[in-house]
Amino acid sequence: MFSEDTVLLLYEMSDVLIAGLSNGSVYALMALGMTLVYGVTKAFNFAYGDFFNMGGYFAWMLIIGLGLQFGGYVTIFIVVLPMLFGVGYAMEKFLISPLRKRADWENRIMMLTLGLALFLTNLYMVVFGVKLKSLPAILDGILEVGEFVFSYQDIMIFCLSLGGILLFGWTLNNTRTGMAVRAVAQNPAGAKIVGINIGRIFAATFAISTVMVGFGGILLSQKLFINPSSGGAIMVKAWVVTAFGGMGSIRGGLVAAFIIGIMEAFVGWIFGMSYGIIALFILLLGTLIIRPQGLMGKGE
Amino acid sequence: MLKLSNVTKRFGSLVAVNDLSLEVEKGQIYGIAGPNGAGKSTIYNLITGFYSYEGKIEFEGKPINGLRPYQIVKRGISRTFQIPQTFPSLSVEDSIDIGNRFGNTAAYSRKRVDEVIDFVNLNRERKHKTGTLDLLGKKKLMIGAALATRPKMLMLDEPMAGSNAHEIKALMELIRRINQELGITIIIIEHFMKVLTELTETLLIIETGTEICCGHPAEVTNDPAVIECYLGREDDQG
Ligand SMILES: Nc1ncnc2c1ncn2[C@@H]1O[C@H](COP(=O)(O)OP(=O)(O)OP(=O)(O)O)[C@@H](O)[C@H]1O
Ligand SMILES: [Mg+2]
Repeated sequence: MFSEDTVLLLYEMSDVLIAGLSNGSVYALMALGMTLVYGVTKAFNFAYGDFFNMGGYFAWMLIIGLGLQFGGYVTIFIVVLPMLFGVGYAMEKFLISPLRKRADWENRIMMLTLGLALFLTNLYMVVFGVKLKSLPAILDGILEVGEFVFSYQDIMIFCLSLGGILLFGWTLNNTRTGMAVRAVAQNPAGAKIVGINIGRIFAATFAISTVMVGFGGILLSQKLFINPSSGGAIMVKAWVVTAFGGMGSIRGGLVAAFIIGIMEAFVGWIFGMSYGIIALFILLLGTLIIRPQGLMGKGE
Repeated sequence: MLKLSNVTKRFGSLVAVNDLSLEVEKGQIYGIAGPNGAGKSTIYNLITGFYSYEGKIEFEGKPINGLRPYQIVKRGISRTFQIPQTFPSLSVEDSIDIGNRFGNTAAYSRKRVDEVIDFVNLNRERKHKTGTLDLLGKKKLMIGAALATRPKMLMLDEPMAGSNAHEIKALMELIRRINQELGITIIIIEHFMKVLTELTETLLIIETGTEICCGHPAEVTNDPAVIECYLGREDDQG
């Protein structure tokens, strides 16, 4: 029915598309976590990308220590995600929250998280070395549907991060903590006088966002390498997704993440991987000039 | 029920509350008045744990110094702000449910939400987003959210501000019902003297953080010091 060349092209294109979708879904997860922290605590976390790597390294340690025979990635998620939650919670409670009582707390928190980013990068280098690590694929093999071919790894990454996003949305809308998070984001003073412990909500929010980005790290580090000094670039990527989608717009962030994931994959396929970053930068510039409020932002 | 002893609050060199003592008895409606910047809202902010201060505040015989706002709510003190503080994209019933869930230590009961919504008469708007309510609606909602925390004492900060005569009447009626039907002690800060003389049993007048006079509203409003302090303010006394 198709010529051999066409079949080959479809093969490759479907592979690129699903790769873009799986990357995009992880970006969406990361961008959501970033929007969450900013929306609730009004402070920007410059070490965000380094928690991505933390997820990757925690998983790597477990695999080196245990191998994959004990439940594989299921065990990894069960162990690592609570660890990330704990690290995030403690970080907020003991490092960030004491600064919030000061007059120029925004600047102080910015300095602190910048310092933290530097610290974590160096910590990773000391502990794990500068050599890049990689994680085994969560699932091997490919799925062929007619002329199209998808790798199970990409499908799994896509489904898991989508699952994470849905769980996050459900939690925000249907649980007691989610209700408190929304209330604090919309009106901290109003939340205090109805009995919400906003210090705890700040810490929980930070912890949840750490889990989200760290989970993204575990997923994406199967395709990329874990690089101790890549935190900054990852944070910028999450930021571009957020800005392109519209700061504060959850739906915008989701759409933006998939557009960027797919765009990056196709640009990489056609022009080579390093052009992906350039395309991203052009997109950011274009957004800032043409539509500064982002795809679905509220505008001025 | 509530007792402030020699409470002082400084913001830098400004003394917003100056060595103030007062006592509110259980079941009463207690009024606070004074010119703009007198320190009225600051007193609320101290009682509800928003700022630290010198002196001592006790509620039901126990000191509440140093407690955080959410802990004070759970002790049974709830309040409103001068400007209604709402959660714009939450619905009326969810906003009230937040007070119900977080503001007390009682077991959760959804019924409480319906009772409060009925009490403040927001049944028609219960599914509406808070941001779409008019000013009176927002005020009723804030009072409802405060009531949902099951308070023993409710502190209202200028509840009548920006309201017309009709709305003032409705709000006064609501405040009276909260006091009489629910047995909740009330403190009210208000600029409208008429509201205070009609509602309160004790009235405190302060200026620059200092007590000018305190007593039965009829006596207080005839006190020469108060008349002097309020001279030229007849126009906005409703
Ligand atoms: N957080 C703060 N930092 C610095 N100064 C403050 C702060 N809060 C209040 N003040 C000052 O304390 C004084 C008392 O303010 P407060 O809000 O208590 O007055 P008020 O009696 O409620 O006045 P109004 O009738 O206008 O509401 C004012 O001079 C005000 O500027
Ligand atoms: Mg005031």
